[in-house]
Amino acid sequence: MTDRRRINGPPGETIPPFFDDADRTPEAVKGRSRPPNAIRKMFLKTGVTPSASGSAYLEISTSAKPGASGLKLSCSVHGPRSLPRSAPFSPHLVLTTHVKYAPFATRQRRGYLRDSSERDLSVHLETALRGAIIADRWPKSGVDIIVSIIEGDQERETSRSQGDEVWEMMNALSGCITVAAAALADAGIDCVDTVAGGVAALVQDASNSESKPSIVLDPVPSEHEKILAACCIAYLPTRDEVTNLWFRGDLPASDMELYNALVEKGIHASRNANQYVTRPAAHHPCRRWGDDEYEDAA
Amino acid sequence: MTSTANPPRLAIPGQPLGPASRYRPGPGTHLHNGHLYASLLGHVRITAPARAPGPVKRLTKITPAPAPAELPTIAVLPSSSSLSSSSSSSTGQEGSAEQKQRRREVLPEVGNVVLCRVLRITPRQAVVTILVCGETVLEAEWQGVIRVQDVRATEKDRVKIYESFRPGDIVRAEVISLGDQANYYLSTAKNELGVVLATSETGNTMQPVSWKEMRDPVTGVLELRKVAQPQPQ
Repeated sequence: MTDRRRINGPPGETIPPFFDDADRTPEAVKGRSRPPNAIRKMFLKTGVTPSASGSAYLEISTSAKPGASGLKLSCSVHGPRSLPRSAPFSPHLVLTTHVKYAPFATRQRRGYLRDSSERDLSVHLETALRGAIIADRWPKSGVDIIVSIIEGDQERETSRSQGDEVWEMMNALSGCITVAAAALADAGIDCVDTVAGGVAALVQDASNSESKPSIVLDPVPSEHEKILAACCIAYLPTRDEVTNLWFRGDLPASDMELYNALVEKGIHASRNANQYVTRPAAHHPCRRWGDDEYEDAA
Repeated sequence: MTSTANPPRLAIPGQPLGPASRYRPGPGTHLHNGHLYASLLGHVRITAPARAPGPVKRLTKITPAPAPAELPTIAVLPSSSSLSSSSSSSTGQEGSAEQKQRRREVLPEVGNVVLCRVLRITPRQAVVTILVCGETVLEAEWQGVIRVQDVRATEKDRVKIYESFRPGDIVRAEVISLGDQANYYLSTAKNELGVVLATSETGNTMQPVSWKEMRDPVTGVLELRKVAQPQPQ
C-alpha cells in the first residue's frame, strides 16, 4: 500500500536532465565585429501599447552572436493628465519618469521595487527629456513616462565578475532616451527636437597595458578587454544642444583633449541613433500621400 | 527636409519648416531664432489667411491696405500614422487616423466654453468635472469650480448655489482662470451659459421654462436652476 497522502513520483525511474555547457563557453566572442565609429543595429516601433497615449519599443541587437538579443526596451507615455490634488499649482507640464529593469532582464535577478541604480537612470532620463519638451504648452498637467527594460544588454557567459554593470547602465540609458523620444512623438507632446542618446567609450583592447587606448561608439563591455571611461549623451540634432551628459571613468584630469573627443564621439553616436527615429518617420507615409499628390495634379 | 523652399508634408519634432517671415506659427510648431520648427509628429498643413490678399477688384473705392500680418498659418496636425506602425494604407486607415486625431487631448484654456457635470455643491461654490472642451471630448478628468459670485452677472449677492445647480446637472460654462492647484475656475455669467440638462427630484429630464426655472414634464413641478438660454442648432 503506497502512501496516498503524498504526491508520489512516477513509478518508472527517470534521469534528471544535465546540461553541460563546458563545450559552449569558448564560443564567447571577443573583439568588436563592427567598425569603431558604428553603432549597433536597432529596431524601433511605435504604438505598441494601445492603452497608453503614446508608446514605443526599441531593440538593439548584440553584434557578438547573431541570434542572441541585446537591449529590449518598452516605453509608454501616459498623459497629459490632471495632477493629483495634493500637488502644488504648476504653470507647465510636470514630467515623471520611471525606469525599471524587469526582474528577469539581467543575469543578477532584479527586485520588483526600483533600486538606486534604476532611480539614477530615471533622473538622468528626466533631465534628458526636460530639455526637449516644450512644457509651457501644457499647464496644470502631468506626464508619466515609464520605460521597462525587458532585456538588459548582458552576455550570458562572459564578464561574470568584472563589474560591467555601470557601463551597461550607460548603454541602457542611451536606449531609454531614444525610445522615450519616439514615444513622446507618438503621444503628441510638443518637443523642441527629437532627442536621442549615444554612448562613446575609451577602451583598451589588448590585455597588455602598453597598447594605446582608442575611442569607440556604442561599446559592448564583453567585446572589449577593458573600458577606461565612457560618456553617455542626450543630444538635440537640429538645435545642436546637449541636454544630458553622463561621464564616468578614470581619466587624467589634465588631458582636456580626451574629454572633448569623448563628448564629440558621444554626439556622433546619438546622431546615428537619431537616424533610426527620423528615417522611418520621413519615409513611411509616401504611399499614403501619393494619392493626394495625384489629386492635386488632376 | 533639405530644401527650405517648400515645407515637408510630414514633420517630426525639430524639423525646420521655414522662416518666420513666410508663415505664422500655428498649433504644433514653435519659433526659434526667427525660424519655425515642428514640435509634433504629423502632417504639415498650411492654411491660407482668411481674406486672400489678392488684387482689389474695383479701384473706384478706397480700401485700406491689407494688413502686413496676413501670412499663411502653418500647423502640424498629429495623426496615428506614427513612425513605423500602421503600414496599411487603405481608406479605412484614413478614417481611423482622423478619429485618433480628433481624440487628441486638449486642455481647457481661458475663454473656452466647456460642458461639465456638477459633482457637489456647497453654499459658496459648485464643484464640477469638465467633460467637453469646445468640440473635443476630453480624455482625462479635469475638475472645475463655479464660485457663487460667478454664477450670474446681475444680483450677485442674492445668488444661492442650491437655487442654481444641483449635483448631476450638465452645465455649459466658460473658463475664466486656470485656477488653483486642483480646480479650473468657471463662470456661467452669460445668458447662453448655465444648466443645459437637469433631472428633477423624481428623476425626469426637465424642460426650461424661464431663465431661472425648469419644469418636470411629468409631475409639473418647478425647480430653480440657472438655466442656459436654448441655442439654435
